[in-house]
Amino acid sequence: MKIIVLLKRVPDTEAKILINQDGNGIREDGVKFIINTYDEYGIEEGLRLKEKVGGDSKVTAVCAGPEESTEVIRTALAMGVDDAVHICDPALAKPSPFTIAEVLAKAISEEGFDIIFCGKQGIDDDMAQTQSILAEKLDIPQVNNATVFELADDLSKAVLNRRIEGGDEKVEASLPVIISCEKGLNDPRYASLPGIMKAKKKEIRVKNLADLGFNEAPSSGRSRVLKWLPMPKGGECKMVEAEETVDAVKELARLLREEAKVV
Amino acid sequence: MTVQGIVLLVLFVAVLVVFGFIVRMLIRTLKLGKPEDRSGNIGQRINSVLVYVAAQARVLSQPAGLGHFLIFWGFIFITLGTIEHIVGMIVPGVSYTAVFGPVVAGVISWFQDILAFLVLLAIIVSLFRRFVLKPVRLKIDDPGARQEALFILTLISALVLLMFGIKGAGILMGKVDPAYAPVSSFVAGLLQGRGLDLHMFENVLAWTHHLIVFFFLLYVPYSKHIHILGAIPNIYLRNLGPAGTLSRMDFEDESAEKFGNSEIRDFTWKQLLDLYACTECGRCQAACPAYLTEKPLSPFNMIHRMRAHLMDERGKLLKGQDGEKGETGAEGVEGTPIIPETMTTDEIWACTTCGACMQECPPFIEHVQKIVDLRRYLVMTESNFPQEMQAVFRNMEVNYNPWSIGFSTRADWAEGMDVPIASEKKEFDVLFWTGCAGSFDARGQSVMKAVVELFGKADVDFAILGVEEMCCGETARRMGNEYLAQTLIDGNIDVLKKYSFKKIVTACPHCFNTFKVEYPQFGFEAEVMHHSEFLLDLLEEGRLKAGKIESTRGTYHDSCYLGRYNDILDQPRSILNQVSGVEITEMGRSGKRSFCCGAGGGRMWMEEDIGRRINEERVSETTKLGVDTIFAACPYCITMFEDGLKAGEIENVRVRDIAEVLLESID
Ligand SMILES: Cc1cc2nc3c(=O)[nH]c(=O)nc-3n(C[C@H](O)[C@H](O)[C@H](O)COP(=O)(O)OP(=O)(O)OC[C@H]3O[C@@H](n4cnc5c(N)ncnc54)[C@H](O)[C@@H]3O)c2cc1C
Ligand code: SF4
Ligand code: SF4
Repeated sequence: MKIIVLLKRVPDTEAKILINQDGNGIREDGVKFIINTYDEYGIEEGLRLKEKVGGDSKVTAVCAGPEESTEVIRTALAMGVDDAVHICDPALAKPSPFTIAEVLAKAISEEGFDIIFCGKQGIDDDMAQTQSILAEKLDIPQVNNATVFELADDLSKAVLNRRIEGGDEKVEASLPVIISCEKGLNDPRYASLPGIMKAKKKEIRVKNLADLGFNEAPSSGRSRVLKWLPMPKGGECKMVEAEETVDAVKELARLLREEAKVV
Repeated sequence: MTVQGIVLLVLFVAVLVVFGFIVRMLIRTLKLGKPEDRSGNIGQRINSVLVYVAAQARVLSQPAGLGHFLIFWGFIFITLGTIEHIVGMIVPGVSYTAVFGPVVAGVISWFQDILAFLVLLAIIVSLFRRFVLKPVRLKIDDPGARQEALFILTLISALVLLMFGIKGAGILMGKVDPAYAPVSSFVAGLLQGRGLDLHMFENVLAWTHHLIVFFFLLYVPYSKHIHILGAIPNIYLRNLGPAGTLSRMDFEDESAEKFGNSEIRDFTWKQLLDLYACTECGRCQAACPAYLTEKPLSPFNMIHRMRAHLMDERGKLLKGQDGEKGETGAEGVEGTPIIPETMTTDEIWACTTCGACMQECPPFIEHVQKIVDLRRYLVMTESNFPQEMQAVFRNMEVNYNPWSIGFSTRADWAEGMDVPIASEKKEFDVLFWTGCAGSFDARGQSVMKAVVELFGKADVDFAILGVEEMCCGETARRMGNEYLAQTLIDGNIDVLKKYSFKKIVTACPHCFNTFKVEYPQFGFEAEVMHHSEFLLDLLEEGRLKAGKIESTRGTYHDSCYLGRYNDILDQPRSILNQVSGVEITEMGRSGKRSFCCGAGGGRMWMEEDIGRRINEERVSETTKLGVDTIFAACPYCITMFEDGLKAGEIENVRVRDIAEVLLESID
């Protein structure tokens, strides 16, 4: 069974995010990058599936990202992923999900696939688009926000729970399928040291757009990011002080009515 | 030579030969372990033997140790007598009197008598303790261990009683000088006039006695009394370096499939010798914060079970070695994993690495390294550890601190204060190492601010590394993640080498110990001071002058890595004593015998859901003293106590760092 796991390199959740001068990206100095948290669930599920199915199953990670992505790819390899494809091309700086899905679709098709696991969204751009566009491009079913994944014994179909508002929805999908993973699906493993050591020798196939048969970056679709804006500043905080609580409450009511004009 | 003499001689030689084979097997068993260098420092090693074997210094550090002292010395003299008697039976006429003259023989005899009598008393006390008083330290799950203790005490008593009988009869037959045998003379009085065939009587007792001795000699290596063979070499070979250092692992071999210890052969020969040396005194257990708060771990039980495991395994492993000849032959044989049958993971993770066990252990057994070696395997080879630790490792990997806080905010605590950053200053006297708790924990930050203010008042030329500082690696190392620890250590050394400074000062005992005794393993040596040492120097040089605070009755808690591991006991107390208004009452468990706060060994980051909480245990010890303040010198201890006070809903007790008090007294 050929299992593909997608991984995106994203800024660490704790990183201080500052918009760059041009307003088209973030300042990368002082920012550590990690594997997109949701993608880790995908990696873990892919590895578990391989362990379960056995035979000549193989897990391949596919990542599109700048050169520095090698570090996060190695982390996935250390967890147990067998090999990786790294799509890296200067023309892909700040690509849209539309572009990236087109590129990924090509790379994944070249690899061959039975199941694709990815995250439910990038924790940075929060678009949650890539997997759906990818499903369209590959013309396969997609199941989003999976919290339970099982493969039928004859390997013909997947049975999943997907998290919806207030509960889970149980669905069935034929293979091949792309599954986007939600928190709760599993607890991603911590790479063992022999795993880390082995990862140093595993193959990462670096491909640029030309290798994948593109002359230029594929279209970015019909929407376009215009500008990145910093987080709006929170409003000013005014402390109401008074000797007696009653007076404070009265003053608060007055401020809400007259200044904030909300009551 | 009489027929009886010949029989005894043959038996004696046979026993010695068998004993020799057993000792050889014991040594071959040790060689199953990995190499470790314990050579050199012969003078110091001999001194250890004099102090800790001959004078039994550690044994005597507790009142009950007197019993062992008596049994130990009693047996040396009794054995001298046994040898004399056996030789005398084989070659009639040979005795100490004949060889050394009556005075030397008399002195030996006198000591024999007095000590043997005291041994009897000691055994009675010991039986009373074991079976009536049942102190915490002698509790053990294995019922076999208690039976064995009883069996051995019975044998020893029998040997002593038989000896008195033999000597008593000897007095009546004119073979023993009653002037040098006060107790035996009394026994002689009892035997007199009973119409005994004295010669026959003595002979029967002597044979019984010697057969018991022969049995003992062959039984000892298979019992807990193997410590008679193991303890002395173990004390000779003890770790003479700092106790707070873990072994450095080498990650050069990238094809290695295994890191850390999973089976008995992964330990070093010295770690295996430790297992022979255990006297089963249980002192380690009685000091162990994990054991005392009802966690499954007992260091005593651990050593006991690991020894049993070694004994179970050695037959198979030694046979494997024989089969293929040569040192590596045994590698073809599968060793039984220590976890989960001999030790459970709950035990392995319960240890705070406080070192109390090692501090107490009379034969200097090193427990912490063994626990960490097992952790190393679980973490690095198996990725098998309490779930909450994964986030901690991740945080340390990504943001270089165990808190989940971005590394770029590491120096934010110093904002608005005059705190120079190393990358701007380049050259300074003191590198102030803030540590993770000092950088990210609100309570730790306020301690760091106090230290920095004191530096300002004393005009100390200092700087911090700021965002260039990473976790010192202590926690990762003690959690068994040596690989991560070394990544952090190497990273820090690279940064530290860029700057020129005279010493490192830190307000965290964990960072302190790591820099002082562990960084040298990685090629970085610097003078390292804990803030209590440094601030005391400032006071003594007159650069700071302690003042007065509102009258406070407090107690001082010794942090394990400061007091026990690094002997810094007086400095923090001296600082507190210089502040007028502070009155210190000591806790029962203080100084080198302090009781852990519960945070060490990475426990700070693990759930404590088995047994009682260690921090609450310690807090209740402080509050019994009726103090209003717990003084500490470690940000982890402070956090643990504040949590403990909160849990106990104790509102009238505060926890303060020595620097905070000193600063308040000056302001
Ligand atoms: C600072 C920064 C710099 C970047 N620089 C480059 C660059 O130089 N070159 C480049 O090619 N990309 C780069 N990227 C990545 C690129 O921006 C994203 O892949 C693309 O915008 C889709 O992101 P999303 O968050 O909208 O994905 P979503 O649609 O929210 O992602 C959903 C899921 O799709 C999968 N997925 C998304 N993106 C990728 C990917 N890139 N590779 C594999 N799987 C993916 C993941 O499983 C993810 O969980 C950069 C991203 C950032 C944050
Ligand atoms: S180091 Fe402390 S917690 Fe660990 S076994 Fe020894 S006494 Fe117990
Ligand atoms: S390990 Fe040391 S302290 Fe513990 S029981 Fe054995 S000899 Fe006593």
